[in-house]
Amino acid sequence: MAGQAQENSSLSTVVADVAGGVALALDGEGGSYALSALLAQRDTVALAAIRVLGADVLAPYALNGGAVRGGSDAPDSQVVRRALAAYPPGADASDVSLWSYRGLVEASRAFLPPGGEDWPVEPQAGDTWVRTDPWPKLAHRASQLAALSLPGLAPGLAAGLAARTDDLARGFVRAVRRRDWLQAAGLGRWLVRMPDVPDTLGLEAGLVFVHRMSGGDPRVSLHASAARCFPGGSR
Amino acid sequence: MSIRTTDAGRAHPDAELLDGVVTGALQWLDSMRGAFRLPADVATDADPNTTLKPLGELAELAQVLHALHPVAPVREAAADLFAFAWKETRDGELFAELVRGEPAGTYPVELYGVFARAGLRHPGAEELIGATTALRRWRVARDDHTRTLGVLNAEARVGLPPHARFDAVLACTGLGRCSEPWALDRKAAYGITHDVFHTTDWGRAPGRLPAPLADYLRLWLPAWTESWSEEQLWDLVGEFLAVSACLPDAPYDAGAWRRLAAARTPDGALPEIGDPPRRDADQQAVFTACYHSTLVAAFAATLARAAAPAALPQESERTP
Amino acid sequence: MATELTAPVETAALAAAVEGLLDSAEPEGIYRDTRECGGGLLLAALLLISPPTPRAPKTDAR
Repeated sequence: MAGQAQENSSLSTVVADVAGGVALALDGEGGSYALSALLAQRDTVALAAIRVLGADVLAPYALNGGAVRGGSDAPDSQVVRRALAAYPPGADASDVSLWSYRGLVEASRAFLPPGGEDWPVEPQAGDTWVRTDPWPKLAHRASQLAALSLPGLAPGLAAGLAARTDDLARGFVRAVRRRDWLQAAGLGRWLVRMPDVPDTLGLEAGLVFVHRMSGGDPRVSLHASAARCFPGGSR
Repeated sequence: MSIRTTDAGRAHPDAELLDGVVTGALQWLDSMRGAFRLPADVATDADPNTTLKPLGELAELAQVLHALHPVAPVREAAADLFAFAWKETRDGELFAELVRGEPAGTYPVELYGVFARAGLRHPGAEELIGATTALRRWRVARDDHTRTLGVLNAEARVGLPPHARFDAVLACTGLGRCSEPWALDRKAAYGITHDVFHTTDWGRAPGRLPAPLADYLRLWLPAWTESWSEEQLWDLVGEFLAVSACLPDAPYDAGAWRRLAAARTPDGALPEIGDPPRRDADQQAVFTACYHSTLVAAFAATLARAAAPAALPQESERTP
Repeated sequence: MATELTAPVETAALAAAVEGLLDSAEPEGIYRDTRECGGGLLLAALLLISPPTPRAPKTDAR
């Protein structure tokens, strides 16, 4: 499976590049962000990276209340449409894959110009796990779906997770103990939006700690920046 | 030694598992008496970490089992081990020797306090302790606030005036400061469990735990127990389970208890880290690897048993 | 749908990679404590019910 490993590694590199660009844009208040400008080449790997990062590729547009940018044929709309078309969740897709796809469609609807074409229909994604997963498993999944914590996306999922705030906070503790900085940062993004986060968690300091300890991992930076940009319960 | 717990109180929904942990541990500890025996040079050249410390732990925790366990044969077996420990100190004469040898040391007082609390006293040791603990030198702040709590607890047990305010010292510890729960390493984790043990007099007085600190522990213990179970540091897992039993309503983590119970050797010992020692390991190596965590397991199971939660939650219902 | 994709084989491999990254397994935990811990259990720091002997810190940096 050398070919598969190679795909993984080159995809991971592009994902990291795009994540770094999004993080920079969030830190710079999103002024001149354009996803299409971030992609080195408009190839299938770039589209795959968009699918992996999901709604986060549009995170800078969620700043300032999510003002719609560009005309109906804006390059960002085109590239996201192509990513959605190229990598739809398969028949045996995981709930995480389904939710992430949903998140990208929802974010496109919210933050990209409507254009002439309809966006794909959001697939149904299972949410039983939000209520039934033991907290370590719940926390892992929630972190994988951190992009859906952007304001206005997946309100049902956000509410379900908010009902388990303490469990997600425990997941943050566990993730930091394991030095799983990506999981911790993703959980931090959900937690900053939740009204009842326990004070003793020390979330703000924890996000700074995780960001510094990750040694500049762009995906962690993206989560850390998003946590700074989108704080406060939206409910 | 054989301990029968059948027909005894079944108030705890998980009594069978908990009593199995205690009786297995007691039988193993009993079989290891030889390793607990103190060498002739205990007050001079012997390493206190491998001589006084194991015996002190045996005494401290056997006394808790004796005081709190609802099953009479368990209490009797624990009392027997406690009496054995006192006998090893030559009815307290050892403490006079230790204080005379190291008048500035706190550990002889801390260890003596274990026995003094149970009414076992040695007048000569106490005269010496009275002289050394009356000094301004005794009141100098120590490196470690958690340890100071232990010294304060020993002072109370012996009947000495406290050299500092317990509450003020507690406020400076990892528990008192409510350390960020994700920032604990192993040393800090031991610090927090011991802050609780000293504050509650080893689980005898759980009500002494200030409510905000109990809330803090209730919130984060599940995360710590899970994390250190994954790391297979069984003594620390046992200490967290013991702390949990010190909280109001004693939240009971059935899953963690099962994992801890499964980590034991067939003869009832609990290894400190990871898998049990190899079957062909020599006795002293097995003792060193297991005595501490086995004592902790018996201690935690006793506190959990004595606390008796109203109902045993199903594992899948633990959260939310 | 705009699909000017020219390399279906590559896309299939990437689709698997996408799924793998989206629903990735947790990495193995890495636990490391301060080296101050190691020697802290000698007489000076003797605590009842702390580990018996200084032990090598578990530092598998996987």
